[in-house]
Amino acid sequence: MHGIRVEGLEKRFGARLAVSGLTFEVKPGEVFGLLGPNGAGKTTTVRMLTGLLQPSAGRASVCGVELPLRDDGVMLRRKVGLLTEQPGLYDRLTARENLEFFIRLNEVDWTSAWALARGLLERFGLGGREDEPVGGFSKGMRQKLAIVRALVHSPEVVFLDEPTSGLDPLSGRVVRDAIAELAREGRTMVLCSHNLPEVERLCSRVAVVKSTLRTVASLTELRREGLALDVLVEGEGAAWVRALDALPFRVVAQPEGSRLRVLLDSEAQAPDVITCVVTAGARVTAAHRAARPLEEAYLELVREEAEAP
Amino acid sequence: MSFSVARALAIFRKDVLELRKNRGLVWSMLTLPLVIVVTPLGVVWAYVRNPTDSGVKALALYYDLSVDLSNAARFLVDKVLADWFTIYLVMPVFVPILISSHAVAGEKEKRTLEPLLASPVTPLELVVGKSLASLVPSVAVCLLAFSLLCVGVDVVAWPLAHELVLPNRMWAFGVLVIAPLFAFFGNGVAVLISARVGDSRLAQQLSGLMVLPLVGLAAGQFAGWLKAGLGYYALIGALVLCLDVAIVVAARRLFDRERLMSRWG
Repeated sequence: MHGIRVEGLEKRFGARLAVSGLTFEVKPGEVFGLLGPNGAGKTTTVRMLTGLLQPSAGRASVCGVELPLRDDGVMLRRKVGLLTEQPGLYDRLTARENLEFFIRLNEVDWTSAWALARGLLERFGLGGREDEPVGGFSKGMRQKLAIVRALVHSPEVVFLDEPTSGLDPLSGRVVRDAIAELAREGRTMVLCSHNLPEVERLCSRVAVVKSTLRTVASLTELRREGLALDVLVEGEGAAWVRALDALPFRVVAQPEGSRLRVLLDSEAQAPDVITCVVTAGARVTAAHRAARPLEEAYLELVREEAEAP
Repeated sequence: MSFSVARALAIFRKDVLELRKNRGLVWSMLTLPLVIVVTPLGVVWAYVRNPTDSGVKALALYYDLSVDLSNAARFLVDKVLADWFTIYLVMPVFVPILISSHAVAGEKEKRTLEPLLASPVTPLELVVGKSLASLVPSVAVCLLAFSLLCVGVDVVAWPLAHELVLPNRMWAFGVLVIAPLFAFFGNGVAVLISARVGDSRLAQQLSGLMVLPLVGLAAGQFAGWLKAGLGYYALIGALVLCLDVAIVVAARRLFDRERLMSRWG
């Protein structure tokens, strides 16, 4: 099994630079998150890595196939599966006919591919609905069918754009379990998502993109990149937010129940924060460093980029 | 570039299946042939009903001063059928336009293009599969319409002609050689325009303009300015063959995955 290796990948549409300076590696069997705000270049990146767009500069290797492609890319596309942002199904056709079409396009063994498809349909709660026109399916059913379509030819690398979009919590969990299981089988999964809790549950590492690559890190590393102090007080933490104005430096306070989370610029600020709250009259029961939620780390990275000239 | 017949056939099968399930499109496909078959039957019937009518003779003289007036009705039957072939040619142009506009630009509207292009299908297989899915039903409809026209004309004209009027050499050549060339042209134009505009209705409207030259030719014929016959249609066929070659060259340039994704994706 091969993974993905990307070196200095760039894409221009005329004079417009869509994405540049992408360098990262995804190991076989890894679930890798590709994060970034809308228009950050995630879809363009995925399109380059699936051979739909040729890179303007840089190079990559996907499943052992080198990019830019030197041929028509049939070999690459046999090895990758793509779940697009929109399910993109043929509404007049039944679920079976939709899947049958893609099985034929991939020229894989019909019996084993259909057995795999049926298994996935059963797992996703679509068993027995194979012969219904897709036009009558709910958004969630369409999304699940599109996932089955992306997997029906047993690809080595699977790109999933918002896989649980439109799914109810139970279906979302079924899909997440399936993604984790596919990764355990050795498939490489690239997840484009705005659903950060989902990314936290599934991905081991992420790349944050906003036209350029902001960072590639494990989730643990990403959370550690900033400092947060949790001060636990008697009563409501919100009551002591104003007290922090007395500090000679600026901090961001996030009260939640009896917890007052304070985002710091440096570790040296922690004693001053605790002293400040105690001086204001708070009864502090505990104080400890906290892991930042992924959302904060992500927003900070994206904000930095937005503020850059 | 590799070419897989299996993948092109998969596209063909899928598009035909979608067409069969799109009743609105099927009915609009069948309306034009119905008009093209029924209209000349009415005209032939009018000539056969009153072959000695002075109006019929006057009309025959308008077209040809040397006409044998005892056979004026038969002359007009042959004349209207020769001229009508130009109108018949609207069908092999227009029916593929109806199908191809849906099949090609429709992929963008339904957001199915990206998953399709992410599969191993090559742009050439895509064009061949989709063109077959447009051409095969179109040619079948044209042949069916021609068969109905032959039966209808022969039944209606029998009291006058006492022989089979259709098929004749000109119509047989036209239906079997020229109509497929026109169908290829209509399909090619619709595919190319769809690749540029990516909206099936706009593609249909723009492609539909391609029938205007045929309407102009027909008007010239009915006005007596142009004389239709085997040589005349062979010349038109040769011209369309050249246009078909140009379409193939343009399609090879336009249909690459990157261009389709940038424009449609």
